[in-house]
Amino acid sequence: MAVKPRGNLSRRGFMKLSGAAAACAAAGGPTRVLHALVSTGKQPIENDTRSVFSACDMCFNKCGLIARVEKGVVRKLDPNPKSLKSRGMLCARGNAGIKQLYDPDRLKYPLLRKGPRGEGRWQRLTWDQALDHAAEQMERIGKEYTRCGFLFMAGTDMQSTFVHRFAEAYGSYNIISHESNCLLSRNRAFLDTFGVVPTPDVLHSRYIIMPGANRFEALVTPDSMDLMTAMQYGCKLVVLDPRYTKTAALANEWHAIKPGTDMAFFLAVAHVIITEALYDKKFVAEMTSGIEELREHVKPYTPQWASRETDIPANDIKRIARELASAAPTAMVYPGRRSSDYQDSTQIRRMYAIVNALLGNWDRKGGLIVPQKVKAGDISIDAPWYDDNPEDRVDAGRAQMMFDEEGSFKHTRDAVIEGKPYPIKGWMTYKTNPMQTGANRNKTIQMIHKLDFMLSVDITMSDTAWLADLVLPAPSYLERKDPLSAFLASSTCSGVITRNPVVPALFESKPVFWIVKELAKRLDLSEHFDFTIEDFRKAQLKEIPEVARAIKEDGVYNIAGPSYGLHKGKPFRTRSKKIELYNSRYAENGVDPMPVYTSPAPVPPNRFRIVVGRNAYITQSASTNNALLWELQPENTLWLHPRPAEKLGIQDQDMVEVKSSVGKGRLKARVTRDTRPDTVYMDTGFGVLSKGLRNIFGKGACIAEVLEDHADRVSGNMAMHETFVRVTKIEG
Amino acid sequence: MKQRRPKKYGIVIDATRCIDCKACLIACKVENQVPEGFWRNWIRPLWSREPNLKTEFQPRQCMQCDGPACVQACPVGATYKQSNGLVAIDPIKCIGCGNCVTACPYGARYRNPVSRVADKCDFCQHRLARDEEPACVVTCPTQARIFGDLNDPRSAVSQRVAAGDLVRVTAPHVDTRPNIYYNRETRQIDWGVAPTLPGNVHMPIDFWNQNPKR
Repeated sequence: MAVKPRGNLSRRGFMKLSGAAAACAAAGGPTRVLHALVSTGKQPIENDTRSVFSACDMCFNKCGLIARVEKGVVRKLDPNPKSLKSRGMLCARGNAGIKQLYDPDRLKYPLLRKGPRGEGRWQRLTWDQALDHAAEQMERIGKEYTRCGFLFMAGTDMQSTFVHRFAEAYGSYNIISHESNCLLSRNRAFLDTFGVVPTPDVLHSRYIIMPGANRFEALVTPDSMDLMTAMQYGCKLVVLDPRYTKTAALANEWHAIKPGTDMAFFLAVAHVIITEALYDKKFVAEMTSGIEELREHVKPYTPQWASRETDIPANDIKRIARELASAAPTAMVYPGRRSSDYQDSTQIRRMYAIVNALLGNWDRKGGLIVPQKVKAGDISIDAPWYDDNPEDRVDAGRAQMMFDEEGSFKHTRDAVIEGKPYPIKGWMTYKTNPMQTGANRNKTIQMIHKLDFMLSVDITMSDTAWLADLVLPAPSYLERKDPLSAFLASSTCSGVITRNPVVPALFESKPVFWIVKELAKRLDLSEHFDFTIEDFRKAQLKEIPEVARAIKEDGVYNIAGPSYGLHKGKPFRTRSKKIELYNSRYAENGVDPMPVYTSPAPVPPNRFRIVVGRNAYITQSASTNNALLWELQPENTLWLHPRPAEKLGIQDQDMVEVKSSVGKGRLKARVTRDTRPDTVYMDTGFGVLSKGLRNIFGKGACIAEVLEDHADRVSGNMAMHETFVRVTKIEG
Repeated sequence: MKQRRPKKYGIVIDATRCIDCKACLIACKVENQVPEGFWRNWIRPLWSREPNLKTEFQPRQCMQCDGPACVQACPVGATYKQSNGLVAIDPIKCIGCGNCVTACPYGARYRNPVSRVADKCDFCQHRLARDEEPACVVTCPTQARIFGDLNDPRSAVSQRVAAGDLVRVTAPHVDTRPNIYYNRETRQIDWGVAPTLPGNVHMPIDFWNQNPKR
């Protein structure tokens, strides 16, 4: 099962293709055209057809692509067969990328809010006016409230590094990412067990338990592709999910687990593995610490007990534990990606990590692995010191063990609303949309009303931009020159990728690098941005010339060689220098050193637990307005089991109201046995407030509006599956 | 110079690999500028909850039949079989009558509301001319489609056909001899319907006679 570039394309065809792209890059083609354009403002005159390498940005995966440009227009995006991480494919969203570029709903020029927030009245500004205004506000807020009085939030993007750099130069440590609405608790758990966040070697695995993750719909490269390949070679897939997802449907086994009880399942799996002595004794003795504590700890967590919690028969739990153990170490409990679900989501993932550790599914083929990462250079920053700044981040101390460099959106928002421990009066967002992705939208609105000034840089008028004071248009990924991005992925496919403009930027859109550079100029901080993207790339590539060569010739650099066995002989970066089944640092911080189970709150009568997710046509809120993807899914629906639906007099396709303690939404019901009777489900990305998203405005309901904002106690990650809702039929 | 055999293009679809991600739908739509509301390819979901009957997603498109009903149904010869095995449409000749749309037993055709002529999958002929495979084939995340020359015994498709573990979809009363093959395990390969023509017009008698059901 060696991983090879896709063999489907004939060698000759590919050579021709890559030759064209290389020639184009060598002649400085697209770059030169861009500069020529900026100065004259004219459209390019091109009669030729070009193929240009780039990296997809329709989600976070950065799949390699080849753009076909005819007469200056991007006609088609094809997969780059040399992109090993994406296994030479491009998904529906990747193919729909041209409609992010050619989207009539794109932001075209700087806009200043005129009426009340959310009313949608805007005044067009010149870039100079817009930047002067933003710089003035930043200067004033910095003076009145200290530099930490300005908050920065950037999404997953190759240029987000420059927003962070700007925040540092400006002097604020209040920088948050999207990740505290996503995967931080998973990272916390694996880091605190293995000292590093591993990637799963799905490709070579023989037995995979996938709790919650929906890898055949919420695509992650290469895991989604590798899962199918592995299954074709006989890998067994066991899915635990309250929903009958496509992943569940294609799995060998699906168990409709009661939401919030995954920890119970894996405590019982650990119980079976330890009491039946199925664990890897040599590995556990040499590599882990705390087996005796764990042995005692899991004693009460029998399969019979877990069966009552999870609604999965005890015999199945026992059998699955034994099967997993017998397939180990070429087996895994799949770590998953988004883990923003429960208040103990770190501890739930700790249990996944611990079961993997017991079985020695570590640094071996088909288990969890630590692939190499290319170490790119950097242009260091000597950030100025501001004497009046407060001691710490505004959200400090609100979770037991927060990641300082990521923060928590939930806790930061609470702090801004409370004005404690100090006021925050300014906010800059870049390509992130917490109005749609951060649970409890009304609280986000409340937070925004506390601000003096909010600046949003985006491609379209997202709900977050809709509430801002100043909205600045950014180009799509097909129009940008980006720095290099080193990515980690499993099984011989980590590497480096970058982007050059495929076509010149449309309208007046400007990359965020240019925007922060211009702001820095106005704030007397230009010394920290005394470089071009080209200079930055040179610094990144200084020690790795082979990467530059590969990117030029193949559009991507792939690390060659196996991804397992690389950790051998190295100490674990944990306190005990071993894998921590028992975490003593947790104990000292008031965190359970081993996961202690608490039953999820029972669903009150006549209510449902709501869970959320997405499918292969949705990237949270960033893709639902895309004209091509919208055709696949024009709205979201509420999945409701037929039994309660009948009780509530709701039929398939009826309009229903879904209501929680913090908000409500209207959408169509999908009456289906694909969800449990106690659980309803909604896709993300609909029910928008912004009238600038014309395809989806007025369609479906918004998860952020309905979800209450609970948090994972350990990491401060949002907990999005802790909300109960009422569902009623809307008459007429 | 050695005389080369004419090509005969075909696709082998492994429906057990399809995850219904619809990458092929969007890739095709963009590549062929298919208007909103229409598709040249699609996926048929067969959901199952039975432990011994798996859910299956069946990707579909024009079968490039060797006995094409659409060709028989076309009154002006706009739809024709090419020497490379592809069923093609000459947009200059097409009068947009729609006979071929109902004649296709697989529902693979539609009338393009913009160009007002019949349209369907042509295995991305313009890509083949550039030595590139069809858009749906190269983009597929799980490589559910294999494309190739059925006349070349060394091609992957020929080898799969020779292995004898493939099946084709046929209409109830007529075998149009499709050049799209599915894995033998593919569930309920039963979606072909009898070719019809609008109104009281009927498919020519010849058509039924020349295609005895296997």
